[in-house]
Amino acid sequence: MKRYLPLAALLAASLVIPLWVHSPYALHIFILLFIAVATGESWNVIGGYAGQYSVGHAAYYGLGAYGAFILLNKQIPPWFGVWVAVAISVVVALIIGSITFRLRGPYFVLASIAVAEIIRLGALSWKDLTNGAEGILVSDLPPLKLGAHVITDWNSKVPYYYMGLAMALLCILVNVAVKYSKLGYYLQAIREDQDAAHSLGIPLARTKNAGLVISAALTALAGSYAAFYIGFIEPQSAFGLDVSVQLVLICIIGGIGTVLGPMVGAVVLVLLSEALRANLIAQGLFKLGLDETSPTGLFLKENLAHAHVLIYGILVVVVILFMPDGLVGFAAARLRRRK
Amino acid sequence: MSAPLLEVRKVSRFFGGVKANLDVSFQVETGMVLGLIGPNGAGKTTLFNCITGFYPPSRGEIHFAGQRIDGKSPDQVCRLGMARTWQKVRPLAKLSVLDNVVVGALLHTISVRQAREAAREHLRAVGLQARADVLAGGLPIGERKKLEVARVLATRPRLILLDEVMGGLNARESEDLIGLILEIKKRGLTQIVIEHDMKAIVRISDRIVVLNSGEKLAEGTPKEVTSNAAVISAYLGASEGAKA
Repeated sequence: MKRYLPLAALLAASLVIPLWVHSPYALHIFILLFIAVATGESWNVIGGYAGQYSVGHAAYYGLGAYGAFILLNKQIPPWFGVWVAVAISVVVALIIGSITFRLRGPYFVLASIAVAEIIRLGALSWKDLTNGAEGILVSDLPPLKLGAHVITDWNSKVPYYYMGLAMALLCILVNVAVKYSKLGYYLQAIREDQDAAHSLGIPLARTKNAGLVISAALTALAGSYAAFYIGFIEPQSAFGLDVSVQLVLICIIGGIGTVLGPMVGAVVLVLLSEALRANLIAQGLFKLGLDETSPTGLFLKENLAHAHVLIYGILVVVVILFMPDGLVGFAAARLRRRK
Repeated sequence: MSAPLLEVRKVSRFFGGVKANLDVSFQVETGMVLGLIGPNGAGKTTLFNCITGFYPPSRGEIHFAGQRIDGKSPDQVCRLGMARTWQKVRPLAKLSVLDNVVVGALLHTISVRQAREAAREHLRAVGLQARADVLAGGLPIGERKKLEVARVLATRPRLILLDEVMGGLNARESEDLIGLILEIKKRGLTQIVIEHDMKAIVRISDRIVVLNSGEKLAEGTPKEVTSNAAVISAYLGASEGAKA
């Protein structure tokens, strides 16, 4: 129980942050963080415990986003529509799972990418339903009411903050529950050695599908949430390969197959990409005494922000090369060696 | 006489043109240890794979505990009460030794706590209780072989198939495993044992089946088999056999 104390403290802190932090930008960063934690933990269920490296989770993320938006446009309230969207992705996950789980290793990875791309192209072409490449904009979300009492009208980021926190927490708790359950043991056995697992009486297809369904449901939930928060979706931002890759990276950077890993990975990646986007590195160098008007300074000021994707990529490669078990795995190994 | 626990009827397995098994038949009675021997490439492991559901036989039938099992998947076969070890051990490397056995024990319960209790019992039975919290990938070969046996026992099988559990072990470790096999026999479990070491197989087996080039060459008590001229020639080479 002791090892969960820091997490409890973290949770308590996150509950009170909006009481002091009012900057919309800061709250925005926290909300991005919650989305990253939720999606990373979702992927971890099937990618981390079962070792089934799906690079097609954008399928579920996008179905969550599109499902909720399309239903909202058909006058179905979000509080209901979200769960319908989640249910749809669960059904799709079962279909995708029963096809792609016949494949092992790299073939499974490729198949998962292909399926997500097929769905993205579907969203692009089925214009009557999805509005095609123009996407869907939801600008006036109906206020959240309890009876006649308006709880929130969505003008502030605070309700999103708490909803995002609740969602991230749900994904973390599901991870803990899965990891220490029979399903978790079975998924990990499949990851370690599929034939050995099979010979110990583990039904491979059913077990993998159970893991995928949980993973897909949580991913879809996060997709719906993100769509409502941003207020706009289009096929690339919902179903794109970069969405799928992002989920995998969160887990790889943090540490695959651990509950803590996706949280660490989410913090690192969200802060890193925001820092690079806002060109904080160049500004930091200027503060350290680099002349802003010198040729180098001008060059950095001009270009570093544009290169944020490149720098992000280089850092990711460095982590993967030198810490193959992610930051959490690296830290755990260090601690063990010190003992 | 009661029906045999396992009956292999004219089982053949082909890989393209290669006849890995050809019309192999034998029976295993409850409680016995059946030794399965033969030169390298005789088809012993292929036969294990057919019996445990990893390869469907190309021809023939396999009956276990009154049911036809050829064509069933490995997990179905395991749930009927048959479990195997692997010639090349397959520890779940990043799980602890205890958790490896827990995976086996979860076949009969949904409760991880109950499975852990059962797993500790089985670790004690093979003498690995002191290593419970070590990662399975870090065990030396002798202990990995014992872990395979503990994991198999945890599925509470009626029939255990041991694929060269003594392969690569030193004399003392082999002796440990012979003791373990006899101990398991005492509990009334049935075993089929693939082994290269003739001395060991003669000590532990009630009956021995000899495979050669995929076909059954001989079957009988250890004494019958070791004095069989065909077996001697298969093991020692044709000319030696002729002289004998």
